[in-house]
Amino acid sequence: MTLRWTNREELMKRVVHGLAAGVMAVGLIAAAAGVATAQTVVGVSWSNFQEERWKTDEAAMKAELERLGATYISADAQSSNEKQIADIEGLIARGATALIVLAQDASAVVPGISKASAEGIPVVGYDRLIEVPGVFYLTFDNKEVGRIQAREVFKVQPKGNYVFIKGSSADPNADFLHSGQLEVLDAAIQSGDIKVVGEQYTDAWLPENAQKNMEQILTANDNKVDAVVASNDGTAGGVVAALTAQGMEGLPVSGQDGDHAALNRVAKGLQTVSVWKDARELGKAAAAIAVELAKGTAADQVPGATKWSDGPRGVTMDAIFLSPIPITSENLNVVIDAGWVGKNVVCQGVDASSAPAACK
Amino acid sequence: MQRERAWRCGKMLALCLLLFGCAQPPDASQEQRSSQEAATGLAGDAAAGLAVPVPRFAEETRQSGLNHSYLGERRYVVGGGLAHLDCDDNGMTDLYLAGGAAPAKLLRNRGTPGGPLAFEAVAESPLVLDAVTGAYALDIDGDAHQDLAVLRFGENILFRGLGDCRFERANEIWGFDGGNAWSTALSATWEEGADWPSLAIGNYIDLEQPGAPWGTCFDNALHRPAGDDRAFAAPIALAPGHCALSVLFTDWDGDGASDLRVSNDREYYRGGEEQLWQVPPGGPPRLFTRDEGWARLEVWGMGIASHDVTGDGLPDYFLTSMADNKLRTLEPAGAGAVQRPAYRDIAFARGVTAHRPYQGDQSKPSTAWHAEFQDVNNDTLADLFVAKGNIEAMENFALDDPNNLLLGLPDGRFVEAGGLAGLDSGARGRGAAVVDLNADGLLDVVVVNRKQPAQVWRNLGLRADAEQAGAEGHWLGLRLRQDGGNRDAVGAWIELRSAGRVQRREVFVGGGHASGGLGWHHFGLGDAEAAEVRVRWPHGGWGAWLPVSPDRFVAVVRNDAVGDRVTEVQQVRRWIAEQSTAMR
Repeated sequence: MTLRWTNREELMKRVVHGLAAGVMAVGLIAAAAGVATAQTVVGVSWSNFQEERWKTDEAAMKAELERLGATYISADAQSSNEKQIADIEGLIARGATALIVLAQDASAVVPGISKASAEGIPVVGYDRLIEVPGVFYLTFDNKEVGRIQAREVFKVQPKGNYVFIKGSSADPNADFLHSGQLEVLDAAIQSGDIKVVGEQYTDAWLPENAQKNMEQILTANDNKVDAVVASNDGTAGGVVAALTAQGMEGLPVSGQDGDHAALNRVAKGLQTVSVWKDARELGKAAAAIAVELAKGTAADQVPGATKWSDGPRGVTMDAIFLSPIPITSENLNVVIDAGWVGKNVVCQGVDASSAPAACK
Repeated sequence: MQRERAWRCGKMLALCLLLFGCAQPPDASQEQRSSQEAATGLAGDAAAGLAVPVPRFAEETRQSGLNHSYLGERRYVVGGGLAHLDCDDNGMTDLYLAGGAAPAKLLRNRGTPGGPLAFEAVAESPLVLDAVTGAYALDIDGDAHQDLAVLRFGENILFRGLGDCRFERANEIWGFDGGNAWSTALSATWEEGADWPSLAIGNYIDLEQPGAPWGTCFDNALHRPAGDDRAFAAPIALAPGHCALSVLFTDWDGDGASDLRVSNDREYYRGGEEQLWQVPPGGPPRLFTRDEGWARLEVWGMGIASHDVTGDGLPDYFLTSMADNKLRTLEPAGAGAVQRPAYRDIAFARGVTAHRPYQGDQSKPSTAWHAEFQDVNNDTLADLFVAKGNIEAMENFALDDPNNLLLGLPDGRFVEAGGLAGLDSGARGRGAAVVDLNADGLLDVVVVNRKQPAQVWRNLGLRADAEQAGAEGHWLGLRLRQDGGNRDAVGAWIELRSAGRVQRREVFVGGGHASGGLGWHHFGLGDAEAAEVRVRWPHGGWGAWLPVSPDRFVAVVRNDAVGDRVTEVQQVRRWIAEQSTAMR
């Protein structure tokens, strides 16, 4: 049994590149790819297409492939890694000249990847690491998420008592986020400007556990807390609930995921930042990379590609890491304009007098 | 052949047709279906017209008096097993249900043969104790009374059966060190030359270790006989432990000796995997290695079901997990080569991945626990029951996760019929048993649920309801008997031959999810009026083929001097006759 289902082995131990570089890379690929030859068929193997979020990725992939003159085919593994292996074989049989694979189980899918490799078909590992030589890795830069969280909180609260509400200790991602946070705040901690008065993992990333931990930290510190670096929007929600119970709402608090409730908190001034990963950018980049590889471009010649070997097995891979976007009260319009969430949701219950620009 | 087909489809036409519709569930994505066809050709086969009879199950939880829940928080998130046994030696199967934080319950079978299910709790019993996670029934001391091995969060306890459903604590009598771990699994074998069993106990997470629960698995334990003392020696640690949830002594390579398969929970171990311990008689156990062919496999291993699915004479192992379940089959050794423990997976090809709910919201994967191969429709083909249920309210997994009944098809694949058969409970299933609870030759199903009432279903066979008679397959209930300590011949293989087809079963105690017993070995005979049975006795050879008549409970008694014989089990016949008289 498990307490959290995750195959997101998004293990990144070094800075790859920042926002500008990530976005630029995608632009370059699109430009370089031009119009693909008629027989370019990109097969996409989804782990579980019934999960709502992948529909956004798919739409972006389809649009980009159409623009590039390539054909989109797909299969849905329905959460079964055995089915995913069969799906990959099926996509190859149907003429795929490149594959994009969102792995259900990164190690179990390897026989399918081997089949593709044996037939000379390039594979893009999508969002989740498939640590096999020759597979191109595309995901968001998770360590950058942690950096952005710390940076945005630090901007508004450069001194004082800080609390870290981390993710689940079972999820390697939680430590990557935290190491990114520390990278930004380390100097201020060393100088004594920032004092860490509480640091807790959040069992299963559950908001109620984050709330309980935050309540204990407030009690232990006589409420003398000035800022909270929370690792995602769920835990941020728990933190804000604990702060509100003490009449301390409005303290700087970070999060990530662009949860609708969190964006509403940003609009209300209860949360400083939600780091958002634009799934459309990921889908678009994957399509461009797959077409490029299908044309025969060497993986390390794909524009923007970098060498990366910080996965658990140390395999050297060609990779592109997209940068996530900090959403604050200053730029809430970005998520609204992208169609990620409606203005009515973001701005619900926001006091007109203190409303951010996006809610006016 | 014509007649067999007629029996199979005759009155079941409607259900057969329904089943065709379900054999290949409609898919949201046309692209995906054609990819599956291209990869496996499965859809074409399903359309070719394979059919199996679908049995009908009626839930009789309330009427039967099975009033019990498995309760408690974190310590009881796993477990929730049950033992099935005949504690009053009347041929009817009694139950012992784990209660977790609540007391466990011994339920005496008060039903009548062929009648509705009925149970009565035994109030005064040392078995009514808390912290029980699961239990297995077996005759430890060879005195013809079934004993109980009770697994607990804390000390495990062996109970000696005294007859009439009375038990006494036997840890001290048998020198058994019950330990103080979080125990979740058990299996028993009689090693070559031994008159006393060896018990393997699987343990889960050590919550006292720093860093718990991550990477803090208990070691497992092997309790072997203490010389000729009719007692256990101090346990041997089976280290490293990887948070086991099911263990099974099984003769995986057919060499006559049992080794120990251990299924482990990848969520909590660090660097762990599935394990196969070689347990040489009297020698120290050792893990099979990569060089010997044992490949790394990591699953959220929660239960083992064993059956010769491929018909090669060796067991295949179904491993329950989250999302995909596994079906592992042995790669055959080349001519003259040593058999290596090298397995490959055939779950997808056979249609038993059972990775998500087959009805309702299918957007999230399943969580599987107890599994068991049994022929529930008496058509001679083994079926597979899988108990399903969310951990508690884990949002990334199906909350309404119905139990599976995967019916064996003539071509070796399986088709889902859990909903059609009426076993589609949305409760949080854990341990279970597929066992005949009213001596009518039809296997019933009992499931223990976490924080919800346990459930029992009566198998009505192919009838539409309890009042209506219908065409049924024939069956046989079979026990093995031999002299010495291993009276029930654990480790034997049974072969049953009818209508030119051979069914094989290994006799084991263990596997499943914290649930097991050694009751009647059930065989479906389809429309065969006659059959033959033979037994390969533990550490012995095959006996002769013996004729058996269908629709009765028999024992095969070992006699190496004059040959084995089949006897009808008198106490069952007498008891059933008495009950029938009383009913008139």
